[in-house]
Amino acid sequence: MTAALEAVNLTVERSKQTVLLDVSFGVAPGEVYALLGGNGAGKSTALLSFLGLLTPKSGSARVQGRSVTDDLTAARRVTAYLPEAATLYEHLSAHENLAYFLSLAKAAADRAAVDRALDRVGLQPEARDKRLGSYSKGMRQKVAIALALLRDTPILLLDEPTSGLDPVAIDEFNTLVRSLADDDRAILMVTHDVYGACQVADRIGLLRKGELVGGFERPAEGRIDTEAVHAAFAGRTVA
Amino acid sequence: MSWGSSRVSTIATAEWRLWMRSKSAIAALLAVVLIIAATSVLTAVRFTEERQERAHQQEVAEETFLSQPARHPHRMVHYGHYVFRTPPPLAIIDPGVDSVTGQSIFLEGHRQNTAMFADTRASANVGGFQTLSPASVYKVLIPLLLIALGHGVFVREREARTLAPLLAQGVSGVTLYAGKVLALTALSAALLTPMLIMSLIGVASGEAASVSLAVVAAYGAYLLVWSALIVLMSAALRTRGVVLGCLVFVWLSWSLITPRLAVASASAAEPSPGKLETDYQLKADLRKLGDGHNAADPAFNALKANLLAEYDVDSVEELPINFRGAVAQASEADLTEVMNEYAERRMALEIRQSHHANGFGWLSPTLAVSAASRHLAGVDLETHHRFLREAEAVRFDFVQGLNKSHVEELSYADDIHRNQSAEASRRARISPENWSVLNEFRFQPATADERFGAAKAPISMLTVWLTTLIAVGVFASRRLKP
Ligand SMILES: Nc1ncnc2c1ncn2[C@@H]1O[C@H](COP(=O)(O)OP(=O)(O)O)[C@@H](O)[C@H]1O
Ligand SMILES: [Mg+2]
Repeated sequence: MTAALEAVNLTVERSKQTVLLDVSFGVAPGEVYALLGGNGAGKSTALLSFLGLLTPKSGSARVQGRSVTDDLTAARRVTAYLPEAATLYEHLSAHENLAYFLSLAKAAADRAAVDRALDRVGLQPEARDKRLGSYSKGMRQKVAIALALLRDTPILLLDEPTSGLDPVAIDEFNTLVRSLADDDRAILMVTHDVYGACQVADRIGLLRKGELVGGFERPAEGRIDTEAVHAAFAGRTVA
Repeated sequence: MSWGSSRVSTIATAEWRLWMRSKSAIAALLAVVLIIAATSVLTAVRFTEERQERAHQQEVAEETFLSQPARHPHRMVHYGHYVFRTPPPLAIIDPGVDSVTGQSIFLEGHRQNTAMFADTRASANVGGFQTLSPASVYKVLIPLLLIALGHGVFVREREARTLAPLLAQGVSGVTLYAGKVLALTALSAALLTPMLIMSLIGVASGEAASVSLAVVAAYGAYLLVWSALIVLMSAALRTRGVVLGCLVFVWLSWSLITPRLAVASASAAEPSPGKLETDYQLKADLRKLGDGHNAADPAFNALKANLLAEYDVDSVEELPINFRGAVAQASEADLTEVMNEYAERRMALEIRQSHHANGFGWLSPTLAVSAASRHLAGVDLETHHRFLREAEAVRFDFVQGLNKSHVEELSYADDIHRNQSAEASRRARISPENWSVLNEFRFQPATADERFGAAKAPISMLTVWLTTLIAVGVFASRRLKP
């Protein structure tokens, strides 16, 4: 079957520096793919390329079989994006932020649906009409996750989704991601959280200085071995 | 929550919501609204009074002239008369040349006086607001407000990194651009409401609806030029400081630097001869024509010979007409020809300078809208020149009318002996019915068609500015990057 997301020899430059070099991988519907890497490895760059917000130097980022640059809007309409650091509007409340972004996405969601999504990500009802300026990092993250959920798209791009969340919220989030994938969505998640990646991902790609340097796959039973991934991430080779 | 409305208006509404939540934006908006209200009311009151005042003074001047008792006709030539240029109804928006040229002229024999500032009580006591017209507020101040509120439309999102999630919703850059321009356009439209009301007041005072609305439309187009530019810069540049700096520079250049450059360049390309020099030259040329008060001046020997031949007599005393009147008539015609030649030369020069300066509208839409507004409102230089010409026609007609009475109604003998006794002086007077040679003067604004014709060039400049900026904005926003 065609991958929902596919990087084909993707090479991206930013400010004349090569930040992604010849990266290739695919994410199928029903699959969670975690791109794991340290700061500056090029993780966010990869997501921005799938949104057409960066143009590849060579190779391509493909959404549902078509290069993103062929039809930016089409690619963006089937993709929900959770921005790094959950950058939403500080002067708007959770409800207002969601209403604005969803109306721009022409996503059908009424107030009840919005509240269900906010319940699902665990944002306290009393905070929902307060401006994001007064939110903690975790609360913002929850709003951003709710937005991605409400878009109800077949593809999700998540940039460091668990950063700022407390351990309980992280567990809940990982369960949520799993259930979304089980609904046949293709999920590309970039993170530097080895444990979280191993918990939810079907496959992990290890990104270092813009290059894909390793891959892990979930066995038929159980999870990807956290120890092995951790060792590879830290630059140690495991047997 | 309006899910169905178009994205463009959703984006525009979001921008408004941000402004409405910013105390400084609201404060700036309120300050500008107050200034618009104050200048509009003051200018409207001032020019409404001024219109009535000048119309009234015109009537008074005519009544005074007509009610003069029996006099020697030449005394009436020197008694003189005033004409006033009543401002057109739209002067309440744009006073135009009214603030720099005179609005009244004293008409008398043998000279063309320069226009003076009409002495009206209405213009007293309004302080600095006299020069701050609604036109100048819309040209200079409102763009600053648009810059203050609008410079961040994109760059703010870029700095807060909300542009990526925004674009990720499947909104095209062009839609975003249109939405942000719409936000500023709606703001401009709201700010244009007072001007629209002023133009309707103009219509109520007799102005053509077409030009009245065209004036508002011209300022609308001008503010749209600004909106398009502000959004373009905000989209194209990376940081707020740079955007703001560039926009303030453009503002300075459009509203201060280019206008000065235009004036300097116009006077360099079409230098005006010094006033003293021209006045001296004119006086010398006039002196060559002789003194019309002195019938014995050798300059009139030819006239004398012609008349003596025509009537087949030997001396001026035998002429059936008053020779002194004939001299005054001939001399007035000659002087007027020379004076008109000088006046036309000066006006032609002024028009060339004005055209030269208006050409700088290609560099500054502020200059373009100024010119469009002056032409459409009927307060342009051309209108002032027409006033000067019409006033001159009135002057020439009544002076020559009086001279004709001098020739026909007063005998030469009575005329030359007028200083011998009180009785002689009385005999040298003619009846006040002769004063009706004075034509009524009601300065009429140019027709709507004429004004549209005059405004064609600056309106094309504004159109080119607008279409170019929008085209560049659409092109740039298609490649909008966070
Ligand atoms: N806006 C930008 N302009 C230029 N270079 C950038 C920009 N953002 C990130 N980079 C550079 O690109 C590289 C990859 O960054 P990024 O994809 O954000 O890494 P990660 O998300 O893995 O931390 C880094 O070297 C970073 O310095
Ligand atoms: Mg990143």
